Amino acid sequence: MARDQALSLLAAANNHGDLAVKLSSLKQAKDILFSVEPSQAAELFSYLAELQSSPEPLVRKYLLEVIDDAGAKGSEHLVILFPVLLTFLKDNNPIVATQSIITGTKIFSSVLEELALQFQRRGIVQRWLEELWTGLIKFRDAVLGIIFEAGPIGPKLLSIKFLETFILCFTLDSTEFDMCNPEVIARQGSMFNVSWIADSHPILNPHALMSDANRHLEILLEILLSASKLPGCMTITAVNSLVAIARKRPVYYKTVLKALLDFSPSIEMAKGRHTVSIQYSLRTAFLGFLRCTHPIMTESREKLLKELRAMNAGDAADQVIRQMDKIMRNNERASRELQFSKDDQLSSQLHISGELTKKRTAQLDNENQNNIFEASSKKSRHGPHNSKTTTASDAKQDHVNGISAKPPVLDGDLTPVEQMIAMIGALIAEGERGVESLEILISNIHADLLADIVITNMKHLPKNPPPLTRYGNLSLNHPSDTSDPAQVVGSNGFATSTQSLDHLAQLPASSLSTTSGAVSDTFATANLSTDSKRDPRRDPRRLDPRRLVAPTDMSQTYVVEENVGTVQHPTVEPDFNPVSSSSVLLSAPQSVPEFAPQPLPTIETDINLPDSPMTIEVDEPIQKYEVHDFDANVITPDKDANNYLHLSPSSGKEEDVVSPASMDLAMLDEAYSPSSEASDELPPDIPNVEASESASAELPVLPLYIELDEDHQIRARRLALERIINKYQNSQRTDIKQTQIALVARLFAQIDVSDVIEMAQKLIISDYEEQKGHELVLHILYHLHSLVISDSASSAAAVYENFLLGVAKSLLVDLPASNKSFSRLLGEVPNIPDSVLGMLDDMCTKSHSGADGRDGDRVTQGLGAVWSLILSRPFIRQACLDIALKCTVHPKDDIQAKAIRLVSNKLYAVSYISNSIEQFAKNMFLSAVDQHSSDALLSESAISDRRIGGQVEGAETSTSGSQVSEPEISPDETMKGVLDDSSNIFSQAHRHMSLFFALCAKKPVLLQLVFDSYTRSSKAVKQAVHRHITVLMRALGSSYSDLLHIISNPPQGSEDLLTQVLHLLSEGRAPPTDLVVTVKHLYETRLKDATILIPILSAFSRDEVLPIFPRLVQLPLPKFQMALAHILQGSAHTGPALTPVEVLVAIHDISPERDSLPLKKITDTCSACFEQRTVFTQQVLAKALNQMVDRTPLPLLFMRTVIQAIDAFPSLVDFVMDILSKLVNRQVWRMPKQWVGFLKCISQTQPHSFKVLLQLPSPQLESALSKYPNLRGPLAAYTNQSSIKTSVPRTTLVLLGLASETQMQQPHAVSSLHASDGPTST
Amino acid sequence: MKLRHAMVCSSNQNRSMEAHWLLKREGFDVASYGTGQHVKLPGPSLREPNVYDFGTPYKQMFDDLRRKDPELYRRNGILPMLKRNLSVKTAPQRWQENAADGTFDVVLTFEEKVFDMVLEDLHNRKHVLLKPVLVINLEVKDNHEEAAIGGRLALQLCQEIEAAGNWEECVDDLIMNFERQNHRKLVYSISYY
Repeated sequence: MARDQALSLLAAANNHGDLAVKLSSLKQAKDILFSVEPSQAAELFSYLAELQSSPEPLVRKYLLEVIDDAGAKGSEHLVILFPVLLTFLKDNNPIVATQSIITGTKIFSSVLEELALQFQRRGIVQRWLEELWTGLIKFRDAVLGIIFEAGPIGPKLLSIKFLETFILCFTLDSTEFDMCNPEVIARQGSMFNVSWIADSHPILNPHALMSDANRHLEILLEILLSASKLPGCMTITAVNSLVAIARKRPVYYKTVLKALLDFSPSIEMAKGRHTVSIQYSLRTAFLGFLRCTHPIMTESREKLLKELRAMNAGDAADQVIRQMDKIMRNNERASRELQFSKDDQLSSQLHISGELTKKRTAQLDNENQNNIFEASSKKSRHGPHNSKTTTASDAKQDHVNGISAKPPVLDGDLTPVEQMIAMIGALIAEGERGVESLEILISNIHADLLADIVITNMKHLPKNPPPLTRYGNLSLNHPSDTSDPAQVVGSNGFATSTQSLDHLAQLPASSLSTTSGAVSDTFATANLSTDSKRDPRRDPRRLDPRRLVAPTDMSQTYVVEENVGTVQHPTVEPDFNPVSSSSVLLSAPQSVPEFAPQPLPTIETDINLPDSPMTIEVDEPIQKYEVHDFDANVITPDKDANNYLHLSPSSGKEEDVVSPASMDLAMLDEAYSPSSEASDELPPDIPNVEASESASAELPVLPLYIELDEDHQIRARRLALERIINKYQNSQRTDIKQTQIALVARLFAQIDVSDVIEMAQKLIISDYEEQKGHELVLHILYHLHSLVISDSASSAAAVYENFLLGVAKSLLVDLPASNKSFSRLLGEVPNIPDSVLGMLDDMCTKSHSGADGRDGDRVTQGLGAVWSLILSRPFIRQACLDIALKCTVHPKDDIQAKAIRLVSNKLYAVSYISNSIEQFAKNMFLSAVDQHSSDALLSESAISDRRIGGQVEGAETSTSGSQVSEPEISPDETMKGVLDDSSNIFSQAHRHMSLFFALCAKKPVLLQLVFDSYTRSSKAVKQAVHRHITVLMRALGSSYSDLLHIISNPPQGSEDLLTQVLHLLSEGRAPPTDLVVTVKHLYETRLKDATILIPILSAFSRDEVLPIFPRLVQLPLPKFQMALAHILQGSAHTGPALTPVEVLVAIHDISPERDSLPLKKITDTCSACFEQRTVFTQQVLAKALNQMVDRTPLPLLFMRTVIQAIDAFPSLVDFVMDILSKLVNRQVWRMPKQWVGFLKCISQTQPHSFKVLLQLPSPQLESALSKYPNLRGPLAAYTNQSSIKTSVPRTTLVLLGLASETQMQQPHAVSSLHASDGPTST
Repeated sequence: MKLRHAMVCSSNQNRSMEAHWLLKREGFDVASYGTGQHVKLPGPSLREPNVYDFGTPYKQMFDDLRRKDPELYRRNGILPMLKRNLSVKTAPQRWQENAADGTFDVVLTFEEKVFDMVLEDLHNRKHVLLKPVLVINLEVKDNHEEAAIGGRLALQLCQEIEAAGNWEECVDDLIMNFERQNHRKLVYSISYY
């Protein structure tokens, strides 16, 4: 039943036309298939498998899902279905192909597991599984083929993933390191790995499979190699798979890492791939490795970090490392706690260390404590029964770490520095594992703090001077005798950790025997646990010469310990002194009796200090030592012998051994960096030294303290500084630099040698920007400054000043003017001494020797610095302001211009100094007006400025004083010599006013002062004012409105200035309304001078102009012409106020009597108009005359104008004749003034005027002819022409002698008629 | 073929929610997550952020902040943002705890750190399904303006991926074209479920 149903459903799935039906049929069929009896199912499954040829991708995909389910159920029918997977691998639909790989991979894993487990449990393997496995091997080969075949990418990605699975399955899962994260562990079950397979497995051969896995890994690596030909996503997938393999199977880590590292540079070439993502996949890979705690991966941390930093992923890497460290620390703490409790018992048995522990105070260096613990524990455990020196290192290391990791006195109120030291100590105690963290910690410590740590730690320096030989052995350039084997051993024992062991081993071992073993052991421990484990180049502390001692002195901490005690309780424990303390302490009950007291004095006595009087011992003892096997008494002088006597009875040999070592170190320290001795950072030194000296009287005196003479000290300091600075230059790493900076700063504070300063300067400046020279300088300066503050008597102030000045000067000389370093330096230094201000002043005001183009830049630079100082340093604000202000009156134009720009544009806007600036500018302006000596004035202003500025330090007073006298004297003296030269006055006045006018541009109200003082100014000064105001007004532009107040109420005598201002304000544009109103009001109320109206005339309307027109005419001609231009120009809106015609008429309308204008003025004005022929053209004249001729009365100057018109434009003659005719009609003879002109015009225009002349009545004609007799002849001749004669009245003819007297009556009548007409028309 | 998308930022508040909101509106199958330890919202100062656990409903945060300083949080856009968020889903979800939400085809992160965390998290999961997931980082600054821009870009990117069909075949071109068009730098990686 079920079978039939399933068959029909499968048939439907295969044949039905509708996809939805197919899928739902298939789904139902599947449900049936998994529920029917296995015997039936086999047949059905084979039918199902036939669906693989279905044309529908979705059907095929669903078929895969069925197979997937079957695989998950572990059904043996998989054998039937599995071939489908192989077919589908080649499916043309990538989704189906992809899905088949997925399904195959899953089946692969489950089958493998089943295979292994079945054999384990039952000892047999079912046949179907065997068959399936054969199929799977085929499947694997097919999948491998897909990767490099051409085809869709989707299946390839899954093929890679399959490879990953395969490799993971067939490699040993030796560790669970990747699962450091509990979250991860919880989530992941344990996965199959090759160890599950029993060796005797019938089908699976683990070894063959493992070698298969190796081959497959190579395929993955191959993908990386051919990445440039593959799509980016394949490369990324391959990288991810490799990373997964490496993280889960650390055996492959190195191979994978190498491949990835080699791969990174070749990425660049890939085109058509998203290279950023490929690059990023590497980054993710490396970060992933960093997260792993497997030792093999932690080993390569360094390399990974470097690589990540190169990818700019340093931050991410650091973060990961911090996380991991935290996790690790937590893990370790748990395990350590156990260990500690155990070891604690051990160490408590040791009286020495126990005592020490009790005595220890909170301020003690924890580093030392740890090492004490290390040393002591080692002594207890290994000392008694160590027969081989070479056993020292690794085996013990862990144990030591276990003990000392938790310093007993860690808690308590520690200062941050001490806490840091404690932390460093704790990390050192971690041994190998702590090194990484320590490095990170140190690289993250701020340089200042690190320096403080070093300094603090130096309190624990031994007082005993060690021989210099070690220094020489450390490959530094001190000459030393390295031929001595013992010496080599001793030094190397300190310097290079494990090496010392080798050396020791090579020594005449018999002579050294167990004791030497202990020595080296101790040494080695100390060293192993500290610096030497680190890459020495990376340890910033190494660069500190003083620091060098800190790690090594751990081996003899108790000496230090006692030293501290001595210092603190000198009276209580007088017998405790640096030298004897060790012995005193060591005489504690703890002894190791089975060992003869056999100190190694040779090491300590072998002092070979070049250049110093301290060369106490020679090589000879060593020879003896070697030969005579610790014959101390022979070796050493009595001092040493005493020491031994004191020591030997009760103390363990280790202690003895240690103490010389400590001296060794101390000596080294002194020799290397004597400055530390001299520095006040080590206050305990002095009492210690004294104590030791006093002690030396009764106790053996060891080479204690080398009192270097002055020369040596200086030399050594310089040497140290030189070295650091040289290193500084070369080193690229910023974290080292930070430390170096701090150290150099401190060293500087102790050195007052000027040539060192210079040397440093040079180096600092040589690469100011890149090499962090700025930071270095600031560090030094701040340090020096802090010294000055703490001790006002110290010479640091002078050093500070010298150094700052030097650096500043070098910056100026060496860097281009555009460089901001100079100004930045001045802005950030703690204090600016007077000399620097003086320099700044010089820079701004004096041109430097080379008068090339750079000067200007220097001035800009100087002013820029001044500016920033004014803004940022209130204390010297006034002094700097003075410099800037002084530059504003500098005779050199460019300096002045720059200074004025600065002051007016930038500084004046600053509220707290604007008053001073204003006051200064005012003073300078007034001085120019009153022509004071600028010298006197400058000082005056400086003083007044100071008053305004409030409290100014005394230092600055002197500065400003000097600034006043220095730069200004020379120009002024020359000035005085030629004082009467007005151009000089002008230029001086101009110069002194510049600032003020520049300020006026910002604050126009200030102009009031200009107006007020204008009257009393000399001509040259006025000239200067005019020039300035021109510029100013143009600059002011639309912000003139502040001026309206001044304009509306100008002081007496400032009219010229006012006029100029008005002109400038209305120049090139329509005068603004408010200005017009103001000026009009002024004109109407106070200032009856039409001149001031001229600039605004263009804004006037016709009705406004006409009333004032006479006043304009009254002005001097040039002004009138200007006014005329304005009137005719008019405004853009309204057009000209008057047309030229109207102007002419207006002029003629002026009545001399009424307007109280001299006639001459009017005629001149008229003539002036006629001169402007382009404006007053023929047409204009004609039109004007035409208008005026009808006026009654005729304008006074009418006839004059007519005559002028005909003179100017002869072609107007006909028009003029018409005018004249009109005048005849108006009986011009009755207007005596016009009549004269009329006749003159007639005379001038003959013969054209004859016609008009003939129109005159006879009496008037007669009077005309009598006035101009020469007219008679031509007129008679003209009249005698027949055409005219007829129309001429008889009386006229008679008058001309062309007719007889008898006919005289008629024209009389005419004439009387005319006469009677005349009055009516007038 | 309908892809499942996840938008991931650090607090599942601003950038991822902006994108979530936009994509949801456009009918995408989308979820959103944060990778941080907590949900952090700006407080009165840099040092005093408002910290919530993932899973705290947006509504609750909204009420909390409105009670604390309605003026401040309205002005800095936090309240409007929360209001928007609570219309999208109930509470911020943490990426590392989303195993139950099923698999995604495309995961979009908005910050490199988040991208790293998503990849590391996916690496640490057991790859059972072997289903590839495309993880893309689109760097977006954590402010409202940038988030709005980022949301639109995310939408566009998802549309292009969806339109491409099989992203495996063309992811490099797709990413590079998108970068060229929008002048944005993307990073992608591929992981598996």
